[in-house]
Amino acid sequence: MKKKLIGTGTAILVTASILAGCGGNDAPAASSPASTASGSAPAASDKPFAGQTVTLVTANHPWSEAITPLLPEFEAATGIKVKVENYFEDQLTQKLTVQFTASSETPDVFMYRPLQDGRLFFKNGWIAPLDDYAKKDADYDFADISASAVNTTTIDGKLAGIPIITERGVLYYRKDLLEQAGIPVPKTLDELVAAAKKLHDPGSEMYGFVARGQRSPLVTQLASYLFSEGGDFITDGKASINTPEAVKAMTTYGTLLKDSGPPGVLNMSWPQAFGIFAQGKVAFLTDADSLYTNAIDPEKSKIGDKVGFALFPAGAAGSKPVNVTAWALSINERSKNKDAAWELIQWATNKENVLKTQQKGNPGARNSVWDNPEATKTFPEELVPIIKESIANGVGHDRPLVVAVGEARDAVGEVVMRVITGDKDVQGAADKANANLQAIIDKDSKR
Amino acid sequence: MNKKKMTKFVLAALTVLVLLVFVFPFVWMLLASFKTQSQIMSNDQTFVFTPTTDNYVNVFRQYDFLKYIVNSMIVAIVSTLLSLLLGLPAAYSIAKYRLQGLGLIILVARIVPGISFLIPWYIIFSKLKLVDSYVSLVLSHMLVGLPFIVWIMISFFEKLPHEVEEAGAIDGCSPHQVFRRIVLPMSGAGIITSSLLSFIFSWNNFMFSIILAGDKTKTLPIAVFNFMSYAEINWGGLMAAACIITLPVLVIALIAQRYVVSGLSAGAVKG
Amino acid sequence: MRYNWTDRNLKWMYILPALVFVLVMMLFPIAYTVWISFYEWSMSAITPPAFVGLANYMDLFKDERFLDSVFNTFYFTIVALIAEMVLGLAIAVLFNRSFRGKNIAKTLFLLPMVATPVAMGLVWMLIYEPTIGAANTILKTIGIEPQLFLASMTQVIPSLIVVDVWQWTPMVALILMAGLSTLPVDPYESADVDGATAWQKFVHITLPLLKPTIIIALMLRLIDVLKTFDIIYATTQGGPNFKSETLNIYGYVLGFQYFKMGSTSALLVIFFLIVMAFTLLLIWMKKRLEAA
Repeated sequence: MKKKLIGTGTAILVTASILAGCGGNDAPAASSPASTASGSAPAASDKPFAGQTVTLVTANHPWSEAITPLLPEFEAATGIKVKVENYFEDQLTQKLTVQFTASSETPDVFMYRPLQDGRLFFKNGWIAPLDDYAKKDADYDFADISASAVNTTTIDGKLAGIPIITERGVLYYRKDLLEQAGIPVPKTLDELVAAAKKLHDPGSEMYGFVARGQRSPLVTQLASYLFSEGGDFITDGKASINTPEAVKAMTTYGTLLKDSGPPGVLNMSWPQAFGIFAQGKVAFLTDADSLYTNAIDPEKSKIGDKVGFALFPAGAAGSKPVNVTAWALSINERSKNKDAAWELIQWATNKENVLKTQQKGNPGARNSVWDNPEATKTFPEELVPIIKESIANGVGHDRPLVVAVGEARDAVGEVVMRVITGDKDVQGAADKANANLQAIIDKDSKR
Repeated sequence: MNKKKMTKFVLAALTVLVLLVFVFPFVWMLLASFKTQSQIMSNDQTFVFTPTTDNYVNVFRQYDFLKYIVNSMIVAIVSTLLSLLLGLPAAYSIAKYRLQGLGLIILVARIVPGISFLIPWYIIFSKLKLVDSYVSLVLSHMLVGLPFIVWIMISFFEKLPHEVEEAGAIDGCSPHQVFRRIVLPMSGAGIITSSLLSFIFSWNNFMFSIILAGDKTKTLPIAVFNFMSYAEINWGGLMAAACIITLPVLVIALIAQRYVVSGLSAGAVKG
Repeated sequence: MRYNWTDRNLKWMYILPALVFVLVMMLFPIAYTVWISFYEWSMSAITPPAFVGLANYMDLFKDERFLDSVFNTFYFTIVALIAEMVLGLAIAVLFNRSFRGKNIAKTLFLLPMVATPVAMGLVWMLIYEPTIGAANTILKTIGIEPQLFLASMTQVIPSLIVVDVWQWTPMVALILMAGLSTLPVDPYESADVDGATAWQKFVHITLPLLKPTIIIALMLRLIDVLKTFDIIYATTQGGPNFKSETLNIYGYVLGFQYFKMGSTSALLVIFFLIVMAFTLLLIWMKKRLEAA
């Protein structure tokens, strides 16, 4: 017995040395920590953060592609070194969640979806409030950032992030098909339903309408229908997806997909919906304006030159598309370099750089930039006035404003799923979903 | 046609059919990597189209793909080698001394759902300052490869005839020498199969790498996602990247295949 | 005979390094997961985890979505496993003869397993796309009505099984081929003398001799099929209407989309026990087989 124990001990030692051995081999690659402030003294007083390193985590997004090449300018001007990492959106959430849960000091600055993750991130204490920073520099002109966009990133009266990408619900349509059939561009949802039905010809693989049909992704697009019919997900703190307006909106959306949609809508998010539209097989599509290149770029689309854009069709309450902040930048509460991190955000969202990123097709949040004709030069000409009008009468959220957004989206999406799969009792499904949504809201208020 | 020829023909036809079915999606992927976005989305241009090499040019120009290939190689090779170093003796010990209970503990590493590792590992590795290092990636990938190697090799070692080991002992080999000089050379097919699979698992690992890798150590599967973004899925780039990822493993598989065959025909088994 | 210390303790010297490594890597994560499963926590840095006892487990058993995901997991696993084992064995036998281009054939055959799962998931999504995908184009040419595949609540799991079978049958075949190559020649020679048919030889010699390898392959596949993640995540994310939501996918959703760390951990613990139970069953089968 004793012998055995000694043997065990030695074996562990041997293992340890083996592990240490291989660890040692890899060590040089790993042990080069980023240089921090302690290394070099600030060069000059106008570069108070020189020598610091700021990590920036972004989503794979055209905005990141537009800002990354500009970073050397920032590094030269401030002496701050920026390390960029980017991830696909779901992985971004996953990575950030793990890092924040583990109380990581990195990243310093990160890109996030205010309406999807913002509430949880903020209430979990992962996001540093930016109110004081935003007002520090008068030249930054924080007031220039659209109030509705700022509203999206404000939680419990605190500024949680600086908006970088905004988007609105619009109607994409095929000019040529409408012209051939002598149908005017639909101005109301009823006209859209009628026109989609008329152009729907599944026998020759031509479909009237397409939009997201996957349970959770569809909710943000449903929102424009909901608001235009005069409904909302939550009214005065109570779930309201079983009101007549909401049921009408969900029935319209679901029926459009069921009666005038292509086969397989249940597994469609935006890539599939845009894919089939770009193949020239669909007459109408409702989705975010920020995705327009998928429809018009000749590399991606067969019908790029035939795509028209229209204001979201009006319902009983007029045209009330969503007008939201899709992405924002914020600072990690545990970051050691918050001031340098703010320098980066301030630079990336100043007037000059918002103009530059917007010219690369990223609809931003600065009023002065939208007023500048230079900013929208690259956008399709007819889309610009539609965007501006949507900004004016849009609604600042596109999903229920709760902490448990994921659950809430699934609850709402359920009703539309029922419509698409042909369930006649929409009101019953809506009542049930409403109760589920109410339970989520109730739980929320206890947090 | 006599019966023997007939059988041979049927077998050959079956082989080709099987290969066709299994290779089709891959051929489709290869073709797609030479297409534009709109060609990929269209069903009338599956086989006949004007090819473009833009996707491949983009893969290397826009992204530092070579770096990712090197990272993936380092992590996959080192983790497989270390898994072999730890796993082969362990498998032998389990097979020879019937220590299935301990073997099960090693297998548990494969049973635990991957998600449960993410947060605890990040906490530990960030405390040790090992996030975004090869060490943490290698260690995490070893937890996938090691149990695999152990469990495949147990069944191989169990099948070895005892006579061989006994003969070795009579020749004056110590048990350690028997293992090194006699048992290992006889287990070529198993070792190659299991290490090939361990390499592939590491090469394709996504869940652990996304959490533990960073800017410096990003591996290929994570880089592939660069072609999917909030605003578009770049199918052509994605497919080109997927082809590039697959190529090195293919080459290794091809070399390893030869090695298995030559090892066997050299008569190591009968030795 | 006098061996040195290492040789006398070979048994432990050989297994301990691997064992210690695995334990060191696993203990903390497992302990952490089990601990959190008794708490309710949204990963908040402000609100600490609140102890709720077994409530997370109780809630799961009342949660229809969880029960459905258990069903989906078994449905997927059982059908996929049977298909992979039968096909894998057939292919291993088919390839276990000399023919021209065998190396190339075997290498090509590895492709599905080698190719990055996430990318292949996307390829299959395009193949299955009802209007522009290759699957319906092929069906149309042989006169079958177009199908919905991943977008159909009934076809989604069978469609995903096809992907899994496509991707992992080669691995089963490869392990079995390696097993076949170590089989002794003598039984076959004496069977030839007795004039046995190929089928008789397969049933009476190959299968029994190959059983330990088959069980190893079955076990490794079982664990992985139960845990299938990449292809489902890349194609349907559990949809439509949660009809392809397996335990692993639901666990991911609970953790990284709903941010319910306690429920996630409880689910992971149950999931772990399920996989463990099946693995033990197979090990027990293997032992009984060896004893017989």
